[in-house]
Amino acid sequence: MRRIFPILSLHLKSFFKTPAAFVLMFVMPVLFSWIFGGMSVNSKQNKPVVNIVADRNETNTEIIKLLKKDKNFKWETETLKKARENVSNDMVIAAVAIPEDFQERIIGQRALFDVILQKKSQDYQALNAYLQGSARLISSSYQAADTLEASFSDVLAGVVNQKGIVVERQTIEKNPDNHVQVNLMVVGFAIMFMMFGLSGAASAILDERRNGTWGRLLISPARKGEIITGYLLSYFIMGWIQFAVLLAAIKFMFGSSWGSLSYLVPYTSLVIIMVTGFGLMIAGIVKTKQQAMALNSVLIVSTCMLGGVYWPLDIVPEFMQKIALAVPQSWAMSGFKEIMSGSLHSGILLKDILALLGFTVVFFAIGLRGMKFE
Amino acid sequence: MELLNVQHLRKSFGQLEAVKGVTFSVKKGESFGLLGPNGAGKSTTINMITGLFPPTSGSIFLHDIDVVKQPKQAQKRIGVVPQEIALYQEMSAWENLKFWGRIYGLNGSQLTRKVEEVLEIIGLSDRAKDKVSTFSGGMKRRVNIGAAILHNPELLIMDEPTVGIDPQSRNHILETVKQLNEEGMTVIYTSHYMEEVEYLCERIGIIDHGVVIASGTLKELREKMEDRSRIKLTIDGVKENAADINKVLAGHFSEKEFQFQDNQLIVFHKEPQLVLSELVHSVTETGTRITSVDIVEPNLESVFLHLTGRNLRD
Repeated sequence: MRRIFPILSLHLKSFFKTPAAFVLMFVMPVLFSWIFGGMSVNSKQNKPVVNIVADRNETNTEIIKLLKKDKNFKWETETLKKARENVSNDMVIAAVAIPEDFQERIIGQRALFDVILQKKSQDYQALNAYLQGSARLISSSYQAADTLEASFSDVLAGVVNQKGIVVERQTIEKNPDNHVQVNLMVVGFAIMFMMFGLSGAASAILDERRNGTWGRLLISPARKGEIITGYLLSYFIMGWIQFAVLLAAIKFMFGSSWGSLSYLVPYTSLVIIMVTGFGLMIAGIVKTKQQAMALNSVLIVSTCMLGGVYWPLDIVPEFMQKIALAVPQSWAMSGFKEIMSGSLHSGILLKDILALLGFTVVFFAIGLRGMKFE
Repeated sequence: MELLNVQHLRKSFGQLEAVKGVTFSVKKGESFGLLGPNGAGKSTTINMITGLFPPTSGSIFLHDIDVVKQPKQAQKRIGVVPQEIALYQEMSAWENLKFWGRIYGLNGSQLTRKVEEVLEIIGLSDRAKDKVSTFSGGMKRRVNIGAAILHNPELLIMDEPTVGIDPQSRNHILETVKQLNEEGMTVIYTSHYMEEVEYLCERIGIIDHGVVIASGTLKELREKMEDRSRIKLTIDGVKENAADINKVLAGHFSEKEFQFQDNQLIVFHKEPQLVLSELVHSVTETGTRITSVDIVEPNLESVFLHLTGRNLRD
């Protein structure tokens, strides 16, 4: 196995000697993250406003408290007339009315909130997801109050005041400065550029095949296993260097936190191995580096779009969310979201890990099968 | 003592049988030339000896190592100079040699010493730190050879190592190979250039259509030609008048003693001076015009032509 190291160090050295590799792997992702991350942070300072229309009573007070837990929006209580005016003048993204027959609606399993809006914007999509989550929580509280024979408003108050129970928005509780979305955007760019970088590096095998160095290695005392391990290990290390540089740069630029390192490091390693497998698969199924570059561009950009790398999957239609399950980036992003939110759900993360492992095995199987060892 | 023994080697790629039972052996310290036109099966044979392809059938032994079963054991003792420049172009000559040295198990001061030594042998010590991509074709070929001799292989296999280079580099390479062979390294040399093979190799195998059609020392091969020289007559309109020339020559030479090639009539004869005037006279009688006459002493090219009926570079 001592022949792995020379192969590994040669590839790292030759890769980092190329200025284009530096631009692709470090400059571009940092620049993208800085621009889009900066935009995102600034946009969060001007939060979208949502009006609440509700009668003053004990239950409504608790519901308003619950809604206001989402710090992504600025919640302002208004009269119905004023709220309608605000919506039509585009002053607010929507108005949420808590109806008088609220409890009947719970029993009848009807929509709990009346929402007044002009257009279904991205902000509205996020609001809608949150309203649905809150509605489920309120219904559960109502049923619990019924079972415990306690007052509904008391149970709801208990739920609202207990930190950590609002699962979907726990993120906001733990990261009040809301850097998770920025972090995910950065991670998304990192994954995309890493896919370009590592796929490009893996397709260098095709150049080596053409130049004869691949053949020369095969007739040397180095075994196939040593050769392929040397190559793959070099791509893995390249991926990690890129990821670490990006994380450090974003920490420096936005002061972001990345969640628990004990989860982040092994999970990132798995994502990098998956991306390496992707590069190997492309190198294994095409004949020239030009073909690899063309295929990489199409596959990487389209799967990144589908997989929620450029925008959150929450805002796309349900059928698109189902399609996203077929691309590895969606699982990778989901896992990163879990880890970075600080409210880790091992069940979700385990699902993400298993899916990524599945993709990795498939990619490696196709890639290694396509490798020419003669 | 035999170093390499190749027996009944066959290799098929689907329906195509590229090598059809090649048999030859190479003694320790010998330089053996493998001659053959493109597509003759030369490179496929070399690739099987180096362990890149497993043969369809047959055996290859390096000493007592079965190359087919233990290719990695054999590869430690073989140095291969491939036909293409198999080097990392963006790395320096030094870095390339160091890398290939490490792949062959050298390290530390031993590796540094060997790299310096090899750079000296290939005459590139002063350009050691320059990128290979800045080198001329000849210099790249020299580094290509250097990478194959770092580990002092017992057997050096060179597959057309002088293709497309300047005469100065070619001479340097030939001298290097000659010197390595004189120092005891066994060499298998394939080339299109017969003069290189004649200069370097003690024994020669001629391969065509996947079989070795003749092998032996240059002297033995010349004897197959019965020491006949070639008289080459360049004639205007030789193709149009071939039938007439044939008729005239039939009275003087047997069918095997002459052949047409391009715009030339080639006649094989032990004593060309004796038949030259008669030959010129006979050909002129047909009304054709001879533009040049050349007498070529028996050499490897004429052996190849005699055995295969075509030039090596056809």
